[in-house]
Amino acid sequence: MNKVLYIVDNNEKKDYQYDILEDTIIYHFSINSSSNIEVHLCHENVTLYYYYNNINYDNNSFNIKVFHDKNHTHSELFNHGVNVSNKKLDYHVEGIVLKSSSGCICNQENQIINMKDGKSTILPVLLIDNFDVDSNHGAYIGKFSDEKLFYIMSRGVSRDEAYQLLLNGFLINSDSIERSQIDLFLKEIKKI
Amino acid sequence: MLEIKKMSCSIIDSDINILKDFSLKIKDGETHVIMGPNGVGKSTLSKVIMGYYKYQVTDGDILVDGESILNDSVDVRAKKGIFLCMQDPTVIEGVSNSEFLRTARASIIGEKVNLYTFIKDMENAMKAVCLNESMLHRSLNQGFSGGEKKKNEILQMKILKPKYIILDELDSGLDVDSLRTVCENINQYMNENKDASLLIITHYPRILEYLKPDYVHILKDGKIQKSGGLELALDVEKNGYTGINVIAGDGVCE
Repeated sequence: MNKVLYIVDNNEKKDYQYDILEDTIIYHFSINSSSNIEVHLCHENVTLYYYYNNINYDNNSFNIKVFHDKNHTHSELFNHGVNVSNKKLDYHVEGIVLKSSSGCICNQENQIINMKDGKSTILPVLLIDNFDVDSNHGAYIGKFSDEKLFYIMSRGVSRDEAYQLLLNGFLINSDSIERSQIDLFLKEIKKI
Repeated sequence: MLEIKKMSCSIIDSDINILKDFSLKIKDGETHVIMGPNGVGKSTLSKVIMGYYKYQVTDGDILVDGESILNDSVDVRAKKGIFLCMQDPTVIEGVSNSEFLRTARASIIGEKVNLYTFIKDMENAMKAVCLNESMLHRSLNQGFSGGEKKKNEILQMKILKPKYIILDELDSGLDVDSLRTVCENINQYMNENKDASLLIITHYPRILEYLKPDYVHILKDGKIQKSGGLELALDVEKNGYTGINVIAGDGVCE
């Protein structure tokens, strides 16, 4: 059984630190906020799934460092942002595997959708000091593809509704998310 | 009736015409087939009718029941009954099949969809096209095999109930049994909706063993060069496109 944490930030700047001792899923929803996060996987064989989903209007940043302090620890980060305006949104995502930590899995996937001409950056960083690590990263900055919009609209769905479907799918990117926990965030999606 | 009237089209910001003075009338209840070698504009035709963003109509018109649809957006064309069964349906991560189809059906009928009726309809339609019910909750086309994608397109057709159905290379990616299944579903749909019409775009006549055409047209150089019945498709299979006697006509079939 995983431990599940929900975080909802609304127009704030916050720092978080977590020591992960058991398998954990963190759902982090952010509305126009900046966050600095430090996570330590400090028990052998623990797994962390971190889902960061944010809606951005002003200049904001998301910095996360995940330290694999023990052997056979596993991190999966999914960071999705929608930059609604022309402001800056920066992601700095670091996975760190120490030399003393063996057999770790350290993955991250980052995407930012620019709704206008905002300046977004993603810095995916993997600092791996061991030879037996399975590690991947991916980063995408862009718009929702015209091909997807065409497909959805070809079934009679208006452009606005098509965007809402895509935004929901992009920002609520796990079937296990309890919607009652993120009411504020769901309302914010509808405003985009 | 779906009518394409002396239509020319090109890729946006390009002056190279893909279709030139193309004309075709598809009356209610008719089944037409467009065949032709690679690269003559068969798929372009299907996408232009649907309003694909990469193409522009430079001349002529497309009419649905006598009214031009050229200024209509893609969703409005769909609401007027046009349905394009795509050759390679787009994967949309995070949007579930059921959520998508429920939204689409509500848009088409212009009112909220009763959840109970919708689920029942979906269950029946999925059973009919031999799709596993678990696919209802999966992201749209994500991880689907080629055959499952095509079956999912036909599932959408059954749920959205369009009047003008365009099948763009339905047979690609389908095994023999799956092809039979989807064609049986299309035939059943056509029997239940007598005013619905079909435009089939294909390379091979195999699909025409299941979907009987009223007309077969050969597309070449951007327009219809020859029209006939099923025998024309069989002639193509036997002799190839180079072997049939293509005589340039006015490109209009009524």
